[in-house]
Amino acid sequence: MARGPADPVVKAKVLEYLGKVQKAKSRDVAVAIGASKSDVDNAVKELTAEDLVEYLYITTTFICLKGKVQTPD
Amino acid sequence: MTEKKTPLLDELETGKWPSFVTEIKRAAVKSEAAGELLQVLEKSYVQRRGHWKHGGIVGVRGYGGGVIGRYVDEPQNFPNIAEFHTVRLLQPSGWFYNTKALRTVCDIWEKYGSGLTNMHGSTGDIILLGCKTEHIQPIFDEFSEAGFDLGGSGSCLRTPNCCVGPGRCEHACYDTLEACYNVTNEFMDELHRPMWPYKSKIKFSGCANDCTSSIARSDCSVIGTWRDTLRIDQDAVKEYVANKFDVQGIVCDKCPTKCLTFNAETQELSVVGEDCTRCMHCINMMPKAIAPGKEKGATILIGGKSTIVQSAFMSWVIVPFMKMESEDDFAEFKDLMRRIWEWWDEFGKSRERIGETIYRLGMTKFLKGIEVEPVPQMVFRPRANPYVFWNQDDLDRSGTALDGSKL
Amino acid sequence: MAILDQGPPHYKKMLPPIVQENYGQWKYHEIPSPGVLKHVAESGAALYSVRVGSPRLVSVDFVRDLCVIADDYCDGFLRFTTRNNVEFLVSDEAKLQPLLDHLDSKGYCVGGTGASVSNIVHTQGWVHCHTPATDASGVVKAVMDDLYEYFNTMKLPAKLKMGLACCLNMCGAAHCSDIAIVGVHRTPPRINHDIIRKGTEIPSLVASCPTGAIRPDPKNKSVIVNEDKCMYCGNCYTMSPAMEIYDPKNDGIAILIGGKTSNARTAPSFSRMVIPFLPNTAPRWPETTEAIRKIVELWIANARQGERVGEWVERIGWEKFFSMAELPFSDMLIDDYIFSRETFRTSAQFKF
Ligand code: HEM
Ligand code: HEM
Ligand code: HEM
Ligand code: HEM
Ligand code: SF4
Ligand code: SF4
Ligand code: SF4
Ligand code: SF4
Repeated sequence: MARGPADPVVKAKVLEYLGKVQKAKSRDVAVAIGASKSDVDNAVKELTAEDLVEYLYITTTFICLKGKVQTPD
Repeated sequence: MTEKKTPLLDELETGKWPSFVTEIKRAAVKSEAAGELLQVLEKSYVQRRGHWKHGGIVGVRGYGGGVIGRYVDEPQNFPNIAEFHTVRLLQPSGWFYNTKALRTVCDIWEKYGSGLTNMHGSTGDIILLGCKTEHIQPIFDEFSEAGFDLGGSGSCLRTPNCCVGPGRCEHACYDTLEACYNVTNEFMDELHRPMWPYKSKIKFSGCANDCTSSIARSDCSVIGTWRDTLRIDQDAVKEYVANKFDVQGIVCDKCPTKCLTFNAETQELSVVGEDCTRCMHCINMMPKAIAPGKEKGATILIGGKSTIVQSAFMSWVIVPFMKMESEDDFAEFKDLMRRIWEWWDEFGKSRERIGETIYRLGMTKFLKGIEVEPVPQMVFRPRANPYVFWNQDDLDRSGTALDGSKL
Repeated sequence: MAILDQGPPHYKKMLPPIVQENYGQWKYHEIPSPGVLKHVAESGAALYSVRVGSPRLVSVDFVRDLCVIADDYCDGFLRFTTRNNVEFLVSDEAKLQPLLDHLDSKGYCVGGTGASVSNIVHTQGWVHCHTPATDASGVVKAVMDDLYEYFNTMKLPAKLKMGLACCLNMCGAAHCSDIAIVGVHRTPPRINHDIIRKGTEIPSLVASCPTGAIRPDPKNKSVIVNEDKCMYCGNCYTMSPAMEIYDPKNDGIAILIGGKTSNARTAPSFSRMVIPFLPNTAPRWPETTEAIRKIVELWIANARQGERVGEWVERIGWEKFFSMAELPFSDMLIDDYIFSRETFRTSAQFKF
């Protein structure tokens, strides 16, 4: 993962993309928004700390907008 | 809660081996959740099926793992375990504890959770079994305050672990406790923020006895070894002989490479160092007389995983010998791991362990990708078919023109 | 606010003084009695480790009891082993016998060293997992009760390392054990179409299947399972509780033997299936305990000193093992998965 603060442009693009899907693998997000995988990972790190994005573990780990995918009841 | 009967589970309180049923009952004295767990488990024993569901998101802010969502399938009947999540904590290297630290774990867990734990999970973490969603953040905050951190879950670096090593074992060829601590701390992002196709595990064993079963249980196995010749203390050999120890039968005859010779007359044991494959057998049998060589390090193996989907793999050799001195901060190892994960992250499919990715794409591609030169130690034997995929570089180098000149 | 990424507690704070002083300077060890290891350092210092069995699933009060004992006899230090045993670390020899007496009076199980059966590495089972085909803790308890005489003695031909995994996910990595107990589902998931229609994400469900056995069924707003492709792994149940993988009548246990992970003498090896199915007879799994006891006793009676289960079977030959063990051989024991060919006998050498 890239070190140091994340690129705000990448962060905005990640949020925009996640707004359009239920959930995604960060690799697919990187391909979709045309950023490098490590920049996306770094952006996601900050976005989760800001409580905007969260990780979702169902057989593999996905990311999604915070609260977008509900836990089953 | 009214007392309910658990006749089947009660059966498991008899017998000599310590009983987990007794333990759940002890926890149930203080925790209604543990009491309901007992009821659900009794139900499972009657019906011979499980009653748990996998969860979606449960976690703490800033992390992508460390907590596993778990829900009972009949929340209306078992409200206290409607949410019953697992928390993983990073264990200290080698699972050494002082009682103060252990009591801290107990106190915090009793305050918020069921009071039930696994010491430890098969990956190595301290496993805390059973808490509500609303308590996850407070639990983490309090453990964090007390100097503990969450372990890995999801498609991340799972909690590394190691054997007891130099802490108590004469066989250790490198400092497994420090390696595990150092490497875990280096890869905190990779551990706490799942970003890979699937999980990845590292286990550190100090010698080829592989007490952590790293070759079977981890994607990267770091197994201590040495590059010179094992050391024999002839006086100590004579002592074994004096104690009626059968050096020929128990040690020499079982050496897989037949490189040990015992001279019954002089009572001396000798080794052909270059033939020894460092299997540890003779050292295990005669620890007072035989010790690893002096030039120590580790063999790095890659690819171990379990059966789903492609069959079980055991890790195979990638680097026959790497120095693992803590003075250089294990820099070479960490650098190698970064290259390996980067390659896998780029080429691996979702839910494909690195061993499967290498198997699918070929060792050749993998070795080129991580810039490691092929050596015969990587294979038991070379290929038996001639189906080599030649690339242009190799053709340019080996082709000759019809007049015999180099191309 | 919690501190992020502080990592595990530093191990140095957890080491008893004798370990700190002799770190990396250990010379040799011996086993004075079952369950007791004596490690001697170059300095001459001796550390006694007393190994005690644990059910692994324990209450915090169990851990607190351990702490009291460690405070009384070990200056407040103890450790756990890879196989979930507890080790009390005694640096004062005078406290060794009193500790052993105390443990005995409280009913703790001391053993698991040398040529013994150690604790069975195991998983969650019905206690806490969603895909188990059998329980974990209960089977382990039943088997350890039965084999207890081999835990607190060292009279086996060699070490006996056992593992249990309650489903194919094999959290416990049972596959390289001397004896592995593996929970097996034997039927594809039953589909609860109502639950699926109520909001299961069908593409994710389809994608969750490692063998591609699940197809969408748009007409039904549900899915179809190709039963020939399904390997009963339960991954789909992880994705949706509509995919009912549990099947009380058909779930049970398979026994695999002969694996090891140590490199000593022979290379590490996988366990091999010798019994494809035993029923889930809770609470004590008598068929399983009996089958395991038979294999263990056959090994004791026939192995050479120092031979692990797999080394013994490989020496006599698997065909010989099946006749000696009076176990039926069937097509279920012949591999028909990806790497099957390497198990076929491409040689005219064998025993009758
Ligand atoms: C496809 C593979 C796997 C899946 C889907 C899987 C799934 C799970 C799940 C759902 C749990 C939670 C159980 C609970 O506490 O409620 C769990 C626990 C655990 N798994 Fe796995 N697992 C897999 C493979 C493994 C492997 C190969 C290992 C280890 C080597 C492992 C190690 C653990 C550990 C340490 C726990 C904690 C509980 C325990 O120790 O039994 N898992 N796994
Ligand atoms: C000869 C028998 C077997 C051997 C030697 C074996 C060995 C292993 C090993 C070494 C692991 C890695 C554990 C880890 O990552 O910690 C593993 C994991 C696993 N095994 Fe087995 N296994 C065997 C049979 C089976 C069978 C019969 C199944 C299922 C039908 C199975 C399912 C799994 C699964 C699902 C995992 C976890 C997958 C993962 O972590 O990616 N294994 N096995
Ligand atoms: C570099 C690879 C190989 C070369 C250059 C090669 C070459 C040859 C040649 C020149 C013959 C004699 C043909 C004749 O009698 O007219 C032959 C025969 C044969 N080779 Fe190979 N071969 C190779 C690999 C293999 C492999 C991999 C196998 C089997 C796995 C194999 C199996 C045979 C067999 C069965 C015969 C027939 C022998 C007989 O009928 O007398 N060869 N090979
Ligand atoms: C590395 C590659 C190959 C090896 C080692 C190989 C080896 C052999 C051998 C040993 C034989 C038997 C020769 C004999 O009976 O004397 C044979 C026969 C034959 N090979 Fe190949 N071969 C290879 C590739 C090919 C390819 C690529 C083709 C066709 C595209 C081919 C077509 C044939 C045919 C038609 C026969 C005669 C079959 C018969 O007599 O029934 N071989 N080959
Ligand atoms: S793996 Fe080797 S160094 Fe580590 S504890 Fe086991 S025998 Fe000792
Ligand atoms: S370590 Fe193994 S191979 Fe080497 S001499 Fe000893 S028994 Fe032989
Ligand atoms: S082996 Fe299977 S059933 Fe058992 S704990 Fe692991 S995933 Fe759950
Ligand atoms: S049990 Fe496994 S193989 Fe069978 S349908 Fe479900 S996911 Fe696919």
